[in-house]
Amino acid sequence: MKAILSALSLVFCTSLACAQAPSPPDASSVKHATDGHVWGALIFATNDASQLTGGKEPVHDELPKLKERLAKVFPFKHFEILGQHRQDIFREYESWVVPSRDLFMKIDSKGPADKGGVNLHLQVWREQQVLVKSDALLRKDSPLFIGGPPWKEGRLIFVLFLERN
Amino acid sequence: MKHPSEEHDLIRWIDGEMSETERTTFEERLKQDPVLATEARQMRALSTSLRAHLPAEMRVPHADYFNTQIEVRITQMALEETRAKQTTPGWSALLQWMRQPWFALTGAAALAVLGFFLVNPATGGASESMILSSYAPNTHVQARTYHDDGAEATVLMLDGLDAVPAERKVSGINIHRSAVEPELASTTMYDHQGTAVFMVSRDALGNPRITPRR
Repeated sequence: MKAILSALSLVFCTSLACAQAPSPPDASSVKHATDGHVWGALIFATNDASQLTGGKEPVHDELPKLKERLAKVFPFKHFEILGQHRQDIFREYESWVVPSRDLFMKIDSKGPADKGGVNLHLQVWREQQVLVKSDALLRKDSPLFIGGPPWKEGRLIFVLFLERN
Repeated sequence: MKHPSEEHDLIRWIDGEMSETERTTFEERLKQDPVLATEARQMRALSTSLRAHLPAEMRVPHADYFNTQIEVRITQMALEETRAKQTTPGWSALLQWMRQPWFALTGAAALAVLGFFLVNPATGGASESMILSSYAPNTHVQARTYHDDGAEATVLMLDGLDAVPAERKVSGINIHRSAVEPELASTTMYDHQGTAVFMVSRDALGNPRITPRR
């Protein structure tokens, strides 16, 4: 009888403990305050079509004629999206835009801008080396083109676009 | 005019930094010196007002704020120095320009153009992204910024970067969302299927570390 009572009390206490100590929320489901949402892409520009990697990443719907627009700034014929990343701009934490492990960006929000857009501190990283640090005002419908390092006979380009505030 | 030590005492008195004996002695002096007493009263009122309106703690805008501000200031000082060197010998040339007969006409035209832009401030720039400052730690790298109207984009051109070796395979990733884990100071990146692809954190030197998750 004593053994049964002990077992029952053990089960009761365990279930009570489980009810009182809920498991911590899954990190992926926690929502943090944001100041906007960006799309970042790493693009390879070249004049030699044989150097393209064969990537088939689609262009962002809200960035019409992106390749033609890039061609107005960078003197290349072919533009290929190697990788892309949609990222919240966290208000209180640093945000990383990593369309590639070779070239990526860290963003710190400095708050919404007066007439739309968001004030940002940007850092472009190439592996363990920071290439540039910038303070920028990013506005919707006005992408930022960053001319990065040469690769093969072309150039790597980072595009940052504010999808929404 | 106050003696510097007198001013120093006044500040210490306002900030409450005096010992009991010093404070009693200083307040005796205030009773005997109405000018100093008036100034002390005004300064204390100003100090109280400032403290009431300023927050006790100010939030640092972002993690790298102080480094960035120092770097920006160094760049500005270098630019100011360069500009000063360029403009100093230009004053005599400017005075000669002003003596030219066409100067008044050109000046009037410039004022008219300036007036037009003041009346129509929204003619450009209000909807464009802007690079406010940029700094490349590598002195061989030059960062140029401009807005390209044809491309409808703001450009930050980094010239002088070392090339990525041609044999290196630069591959891309497709990331749809991320989750911050403040306790671990890391961010996990997920693809369009919701699969964790990699985690970004910092190493002991503060450099980013990308760790695959699958």
